[in-house]
Amino acid sequence: MSTPAFSPSPCEQPYFGRNQLLTLGLLTALAFAPFLIWPSLLRGLLATDFLPHAYCYLKSSGLIWTHVIADALIGAAYMAISITLAYIVHKARRDIPFHWVLLAFGLFIVACGGTHFLDVITVWIPVYVFSAAVKIFTAMASITTAIVLPLVVPRVLALVQQAKTTEQATVELRASEERKEALLREVHHRVKNNLAVICSLFYLQSTHTEDQGTVQIFQEMENRVHSMALVHESLYRSENLARVEFAEYARALANDILGSYRNPEAPVRLKVELEPVVMSVDQAIPCGLILNELISNSFKHGFPDGAGGEIKVTLRSTSAGACTLSVEDSGVGLPFDFDMNNTKSLGLKLVRSLTRQVRGAFELARIGSRTSAQLRFRVDSHAS
Amino acid sequence: MHHDPRYSHLRALIVEDEALVAEELSERLSRLGFSVIGTADSADQGIAMATRERPDLILMDIRLRGKKDGVQAADEIRGLLDTSIVYVTALSDAATVERAKRTDHDGFLLKPFQRTDLQSTIDIAMLRRAARAREREN
Repeated sequence: MSTPAFSPSPCEQPYFGRNQLLTLGLLTALAFAPFLIWPSLLRGLLATDFLPHAYCYLKSSGLIWTHVIADALIGAAYMAISITLAYIVHKARRDIPFHWVLLAFGLFIVACGGTHFLDVITVWIPVYVFSAAVKIFTAMASITTAIVLPLVVPRVLALVQQAKTTEQATVELRASEERKEALLREVHHRVKNNLAVICSLFYLQSTHTEDQGTVQIFQEMENRVHSMALVHESLYRSENLARVEFAEYARALANDILGSYRNPEAPVRLKVELEPVVMSVDQAIPCGLILNELISNSFKHGFPDGAGGEIKVTLRSTSAGACTLSVEDSGVGLPFDFDMNNTKSLGLKLVRSLTRQVRGAFELARIGSRTSAQLRFRVDSHAS
Repeated sequence: MHHDPRYSHLRALIVEDEALVAEELSERLSRLGFSVIGTADSADQGIAMATRERPDLILMDIRLRGKKDGVQAADEIRGLLDTSIVYVTALSDAATVERAKRTDHDGFLLKPFQRTDLQSTIDIAMLRRAARAREREN
């Protein structure tokens, strides 16, 4: 196969079929047969017993060279054009309808080039019989092309119409795609707005009680809803409406939680080390909620009695899509008798359920006096 | 968020078409010490209330009821009186944020926001306004 770029398929047509090669051979044999049978014919064809054309130009070198150079250039240009046509047909014949019309064109142009080259030769060597034969061949090629061309006109016009329709369909498709995107953006915006209203509700309700425990419950609920709103915020802002840049999201979320627990007397520093990970909204929402619980837990239980310290959030990923999200704090550490599966903490119950939802594994451990919470999960591949 | 004596004599206007968010903002501003003079849900109502009441601070949403948006309202109000304008908006498309940032304003807050964000943004806005007042005196 001459074009390795295309994968060969069983129905693919070779450049020349066996039949076409036979026909070509037969025609060549027929063309040469008369000369073999009557060698005198060849002598007659190449007869030079005439006056070279230079005599007609009265040996005026200016006129001769003008003709010679012009004819040579025309002949060379015709050759170049037909080589280009042949190359196009060779490279893209499957994608070009009627490539044989292009080939006929090429042949016609080659023949025309031949007559010009012979005009150069006959200036000095009077092979007029041969020149006449080439002209007969050119005439045949030209007439064939001229007759064949009008026959394909309706099909070419149909193709042009088809291309136009396809282009129109593409434009419409693109417009519909843009409308869909705008709509989706609007949906994320509205969802985010509604979640903001829910946050407002929690806040307003919390202002109607003096009990600090109740206020804290409403604050925690507000933070949970806020962590969901941030996902839609991140989607709304991103170029691709289906994926969340989780590192960016986690950084914003961690800062917001820090803001809601900030205690000016005992500063807890936040350290984030996040590798870029892209995930779908279905995964980002539970992962965001988990992260919210883990950071909140560190603030709530890690630093009692106004102690300061550090909370470190890390996100690592491998090329295979395995992800590790961890929250570590330098606080007082987990109680030694802590049992993850037997806890009354709502936060950890949520973490356990959400870990199941993302098909992940969760581990909470005491390392020295530090508490380390780690979520391992696999990023869904359809996020891109 | 505690009552701040610096703000106890200051008056604030809220331009926001989401009633509950407006309610929350009003509550938070009251806790900071502001007296909230009212809530508008359209640009025109906001402009009318601002020119009548001449508040010290305006919290301005960008998407509002009616044809005019918050950026146009802020532009008109700042042409009429010196007040601190803080945009509070969920609208985060880059073009609108750019347009808002080109107008004269003292702060920008993206919803949903955290209470410390609101407080620090308002602190900065009020400081900027005080600096402008001092400049005028000199």
